[in-house]
Amino acid sequence: MQHRALYIVSLLALIFLVLVSLGEIIWGSSQNGLHWTSRMFYGICHQIPERTLEINGVLMAVNARCFGIFAGLLAGWLLIPAVSGLTVQKKWPVQLFFVAMLLQIIDYTGNLLGFWTNTNLSRLSLGLFFGLSIPVAISDLFYNNKK
Amino acid sequence: MEEVTEHSEHHSFGDYWPSAGIVGAIFGVITFAIGLAFGYMQISSEPTGALLTPMTISGVVVCLVVAIAGAISVWHFTSEVSPFLKLGQGAIIGFLTGVAITVVSVFLNEVWHLVDPDYTEKYLEAVVANFEAMDMPAETKDQLIDSTVESIRTGRSVVQQLFYGIPMYGILNMISAMVGVKIFGKKKDQETF
Repeated sequence: MQHRALYIVSLLALIFLVLVSLGEIIWGSSQNGLHWTSRMFYGICHQIPERTLEINGVLMAVNARCFGIFAGLLAGWLLIPAVSGLTVQKKWPVQLFFVAMLLQIIDYTGNLLGFWTNTNLSRLSLGLFFGLSIPVAISDLFYNNKK
Repeated sequence: MEEVTEHSEHHSFGDYWPSAGIVGAIFGVITFAIGLAFGYMQISSEPTGALLTPMTISGVVVCLVVAIAGAISVWHFTSEVSPFLKLGQGAIIGFLTGVAITVVSVFLNEVWHLVDPDYTEKYLEAVVANFEAMDMPAETKDQLIDSTVESIRTGRSVVQQLFYGIPMYGILNMISAMVGVKIFGKKKDQETF
């Protein structure tokens, strides 16, 4: 594997992203006003409570789709060492990325226009798929073909 | 993909700034303009109690726009500086793009509050009026109003906007820039003379 330092720095950044997105579930409730984790995502995520996952009545800092994307990114990043050898010189990983992106657009637009009503589970699943597709698409860049 | 690395030129930190700065500034302006346009749409709209309001749609649109800036910066770098760059170089360009977007959009937000000093209050009134019209338990509604008012008011602080914006936009654009390296970075066998 090459670019080890970048891999580790990015991995730490993604762990940070997922941990912060869990919000008050793991960081405790705010003593004064809006929780700092919610402030971090304000402007990036709409944070509508109905579209946000909760554990024991405590909401995450981001909505289901955003959490899915972040969790998918982290899961995909962890998979890079395993899949990088399988994606070298292959077109499917980038095609998979574009399909996942297209599905996000179709799902969001269809719901917005009233063609269907998506659920937190569908938002989470499609978010996970999209997030996962990104590290898979670039995984071959970490493959060391000198070995 | 090893060729991308092998034929990367040695670039100094200063080589990254033109691409990150230009694209970051453009996307900073776009982000600010989208936020402002949706903000005024929210102000001028009737409170319907709908979940999807200009405010919430704005967040999604801004996120989508911001997230592709890193890849666009890498495209700019490969077109203007060198088609060969390492994955790490792309990641730095992406992170710097996130920094530039945050700084430019925060600066423009501050300038706009000189142009229209009542903007935040008008925006808050419109957002709260929409929450009031929502069909939900009073306690949930109050919580939602309190947290939104709090986030909009405290979100006005320049230090907070930079403190929270730079890591978030930086990380998102770092990842998107790596996708940019994959799509726009040239291999040796693609080199044209």
